Amino acid sequence: MKTQLIELNINDQIYEIPITPVDLLVDVLRKKVGFTGTKKGCGQGDCGACTVLIDGKTALACITLAIACQGKKITTIEGVANKDGSLHPIQQSFVEHGAVQCGFCSPGMILSSKALLDSNPSPSELEVKRALSGNMCRCTGYILILEAVHAAAEKMAQAGVK
Amino acid sequence: MTKKYEVSNKYGNYTDYKREFTEVGRSIPRPDGPAKVSGATVYTDDMTVPKMVYGRILRSPHAHALIKNIDYSKALALPGVLGVITGADCPIVYGIVPHNSNEHALAQEKVRSWGEGVAAVAAIDDETAEKALELISVEYELLPVLTDPREAVLRDDVRIHEDRPFNIAHEGKQRYGEPEKAFAEAAYVLEKDFYSSYVNHGFIEPQSAIADFDPNKGTLRLWATCQVPHYTHQQLAKVLDMPLNKIRITVPSIGGGFGGKGVASQADFCAALLSRKIGKPVKITYERSDIFATNNGRHPCYMKFKMAFDKDGLITGVDFDNLMEGGAYAGWGIVVLFYTASMVHIPYKVKNVLFRGRRVFTNKPVCGAHRGLGGVQPRFAMEQMLDEAAEHFGLNPFEIRMRNAAESGHTCASAMYVPHTEYKKCLEVAVKNSDFLAKQGKLPFGKGIGMSGGYYISGTSYTLYLSYKPHTVATIKVDEENGVTLFCGSTDIGQGSNMVMAQMAAETLGVKSENVHIYSMDTSVSTFDLGTFASRVTFATGKAIKQAAEKINQELFPVAAAMMECRGDEVAVKDYRFYSIYEPKKKNVSWDEVVTRYIESNGPLTATGQFTPPRRKGLQQGGNIGHSPTFGFSCQIAEVDVDVETGRIQVTKITEAGDCGQPINPMSVEGQVHGSIQMGLGQALYEEMKIGPDGKFLNPSLHDYKMPTTLDMPDVHATIVEAYDPSAPYGGKESGEGPIQPTIPAIFNAVYDAIGIRFTEMPLTPEKVLSALKAKKAAEMKA
Amino acid sequence: MYILNNFEYFAPETRSEALELAKKLGSKAKILAGGTDLIIQLKEKMITTENIINISGVDEFKGISCEPGKGAVIGACTKIADIEYSEALRKKYPALSFAAGEIGGPQVRSMATLGGNSCHSSPAAETPSPLSALGAIVVISSKSGDREVPIEEFILGNRKNVLAEGEIVTKFVLPEPAPKSANRYAYIGLRNAMEIDAVNMAVNLVLENDGETIKAIKLVMGSVFPRPLISEKIPALLIGKKLNDELVEQAAEVAQSEAKPITDVRASAEYRRDVVATLTRRLLKEAYAAAKEA
Repeated sequence: MKTQLIELNINDQIYEIPITPVDLLVDVLRKKVGFTGTKKGCGQGDCGACTVLIDGKTALACITLAIACQGKKITTIEGVANKDGSLHPIQQSFVEHGAVQCGFCSPGMILSSKALLDSNPSPSELEVKRALSGNMCRCTGYILILEAVHAAAEKMAQAGVK
Repeated sequence: MTKKYEVSNKYGNYTDYKREFTEVGRSIPRPDGPAKVSGATVYTDDMTVPKMVYGRILRSPHAHALIKNIDYSKALALPGVLGVITGADCPIVYGIVPHNSNEHALAQEKVRSWGEGVAAVAAIDDETAEKALELISVEYELLPVLTDPREAVLRDDVRIHEDRPFNIAHEGKQRYGEPEKAFAEAAYVLEKDFYSSYVNHGFIEPQSAIADFDPNKGTLRLWATCQVPHYTHQQLAKVLDMPLNKIRITVPSIGGGFGGKGVASQADFCAALLSRKIGKPVKITYERSDIFATNNGRHPCYMKFKMAFDKDGLITGVDFDNLMEGGAYAGWGIVVLFYTASMVHIPYKVKNVLFRGRRVFTNKPVCGAHRGLGGVQPRFAMEQMLDEAAEHFGLNPFEIRMRNAAESGHTCASAMYVPHTEYKKCLEVAVKNSDFLAKQGKLPFGKGIGMSGGYYISGTSYTLYLSYKPHTVATIKVDEENGVTLFCGSTDIGQGSNMVMAQMAAETLGVKSENVHIYSMDTSVSTFDLGTFASRVTFATGKAIKQAAEKINQELFPVAAAMMECRGDEVAVKDYRFYSIYEPKKKNVSWDEVVTRYIESNGPLTATGQFTPPRRKGLQQGGNIGHSPTFGFSCQIAEVDVDVETGRIQVTKITEAGDCGQPINPMSVEGQVHGSIQMGLGQALYEEMKIGPDGKFLNPSLHDYKMPTTLDMPDVHATIVEAYDPSAPYGGKESGEGPIQPTIPAIFNAVYDAIGIRFTEMPLTPEKVLSALKAKKAAEMKA
Repeated sequence: MYILNNFEYFAPETRSEALELAKKLGSKAKILAGGTDLIIQLKEKMITTENIINISGVDEFKGISCEPGKGAVIGACTKIADIEYSEALRKKYPALSFAAGEIGGPQVRSMATLGGNSCHSSPAAETPSPLSALGAIVVISSKSGDREVPIEEFILGNRKNVLAEGEIVTKFVLPEPAPKSANRYAYIGLRNAMEIDAVNMAVNLVLENDGETIKAIKLVMGSVFPRPLISEKIPALLIGKKLNDELVEQAAEVAQSEAKPITDVRASAEYRRDVVATLTRRLLKEAYAAAKEA
């Protein structure tokens, strides 16, 4: 099988990466680009730990072919913080509200939250729950995560942040 | 010196107080939070080390079989494969409880459960390792499979372990008081059977290990997802036949453990053995199916419970027969067995107890330590039986519990001592907050409310292997370059123990928690600690840290006193300032200055503290188990909505009130309560590892092993009741494994309130509910 | 877990490119749209393939056209999430919207496509039931042209369908709902998210001008048969009648008798049959009440 060079737009940077067609996005991100923030929890699309954004919509990197991502904008957890490195309001909110325990689900949770708030800045309780229903967490029972997302939505609305 | 400057002034009984806590009791966001939310935190699988290669384990598709032959020649011939090991490479037995260990890194001549490892491969990349597995051919001779402990215990013709007749791994009997008399004289005897289910921890991060054996120095370095680095350290030394001091274990951040990472995993051993064989570091990371194959989850129990009551509804006796399923190996088994025995003694006063327990081998992935081990099962039974007894006596569930509740200073029949409890307060607060009394028995058919109590240990009194050394050591170093540095080998598995240790150290030292540097989770760099299990960390490290910090203060106070010109025993420290307790405004000096003065005149400043729980001698076989320096308590009240046409249960609300003494970090306590409820809810309603009659695992994926999602969680109203345990460091007790205890019985009691049917088996699936409703209707039609 | 089976990858940009490739590679190629079934099957080594044709980049295969009076045409590569959130579809075909919204979790819905859900042809698939109740036609394209197949004839059962070599499903055509009609969907699963249905059901009910008598009814059950099961007895029972409690009960029994569920890791046959009865009752009442208001 031939290795080919493809270009992937990850967190607003273009990376030239050697891949084969069978390579999965999660492995390319973690091993070839070195962005280990996207996690592998199950490899079968059931836990959401590998959630990334592709053109702003959530996707499961463990069941996405890297080669199919050419020409798309990929956002990983490493690309969520502000340009100066300060935390995005959602990230800050997670930290402040006790929404992070072991932290393994956090990257996926935050990206799912971001996708939600970017398209729906003032979601209802049910909408937030639904948006995160594909991200498994075993530590927090979700409650403080949901609180954190609502608090972030409020802060972002106040600040006019996108 | 007799003053207690850490006593909270909120606890009215204590008149000798100087100030409130400043660091303990703060809901400080954890310092590792920003890294975790940025994806910067390093977990084991995120790591690479130079020259690292990748390993995988080949697992048996059969549940019970002899291994006739393993041919891995084709695997070795695959380009990129560097080495293969099989059971022949790991003949030395290991186990977390050494005196009855029977596990090996890879199967020895036979496999005893689906998914047992039979060979391991190392290759230059993960894909090649995975491919290589397919090229290993194993010849099996199938053996009869035992998947039901009730059958296994009768089948001496099929011995899963040769040295265990009737597949009984362990047996235990305990008799306290005069149970036969209690039952004979009882006003009411209730007898019921219960079954608690076969569940898995479900942590999101799979186990991972990187082993780096240096052939030149003969040393082994291991990075692994391990809750108990010390036990792993010992077992690695044993299996690899190496001295302890040539092995170093560092635990990177862990993505959840819940007891499942409280054993040395085969990934650790196989990676180490492969690394030694090929002279390169080897990383093994589990797939989700590997996690199910190695399991180590909760022991299913077939429980026969009898409870005797006097005419006032007071428990006079408990007779508990526990047929506990252990899966294929010994693991934590004997410990769990005797924990189930001990868990009937608290939180209610029980004078007469008869216990008979058998842990039985079956051809299923081994069971082990799982959050709240040994407690969840008998709690499930007792809390439902209390409700049923209450009904008999015309009492409500709250009343019967209040009557029977133990109080501070209670000594159990088993000699377990409860120095402190606010259990009654938990009951009262939960009942009040949920409006239980107005609702119970009065909601429309299909809606119900139910309550349950629970408790758990704050650490064990004994190590898992015979030893007299301290269970925890903490060393504090104070210098100008770093401020305060704390060394303690405890393992933060996500529960926030690093933060809590910092808070406790900061409290006594008078500095800020955020500025305390922590070196934990490393067998070389950190000081000794047994590990994270049995909810021991806060209490044990708290004691050691307090001791070390007080020693530091003993060194600094005289220097501060001299600088302030006051007496040495009139000094206190807070917010980076030493001050005279009688003239705080006039006489105070900065912490930094005192430290500098000390170091310049005395030299370096470090101090070490230690803790070993009191050795409470058990009165009977296995009676050591269950003792703890102190215990946490809680009450949960669940409200449910049962769809009577489909049997689906929605838990709409859980009200909780918990006694963890003084919460060190209330936000972390809250997090533990919420997480416990999620786990309990999952076991109550959705989760079950399903094994076919041939022993094959039917649902080894998160697809069909169903854990609660955001949409399944109820509203949770959790309260930390006002409490302070004077026997505990900073007043704090456990809150990691207690809060899961009441969840399942509260839900089952609520379902009884909703539809008048008592269920005694987990999980309570819609099918079981609907089936029971149909049967009930049919019976009513006949009548 | 990796895909160990090597394949060639193609990403056509136009309809004709896609069909050309499909013809050239025939059964040696698998079609990739969302990948939520295909990639998992490849990783778990349930299937292998020499080629993958990724059609998700072909704009002609995407899109929702749903104008008043003109039914709907949905491109096969339209994301499930887009169907879930389409206001136009929700107004006319709530059964389809609701079914789409219950597939997996949000990430899966962002990736998965309507075409994939039908082509995977799992007995537990969510969208085939409402598509069938709504009378949807599957448009199958190849180099030789298009052909149309009603959805219930498209799926043969247990991951098999009528697609021949060189064929790709390109769109779904839904007829305009009749006046005084309503369509609804219901399902049962263990949890409230990330579920595979133990049973699902869709109903499309049309009333006569009097707004009470049932003119036509199509009830389709999923997950109780290798493919969507269209009830034959319920139309016979209900057409020409006004719905009342007695008829609802009879319909429930009738549906129960027609269902042929199996026992598997998710639920037993007996439970599925019980649920079929309950869902029938609830769906009929709901659809009837909604149709009356239409």
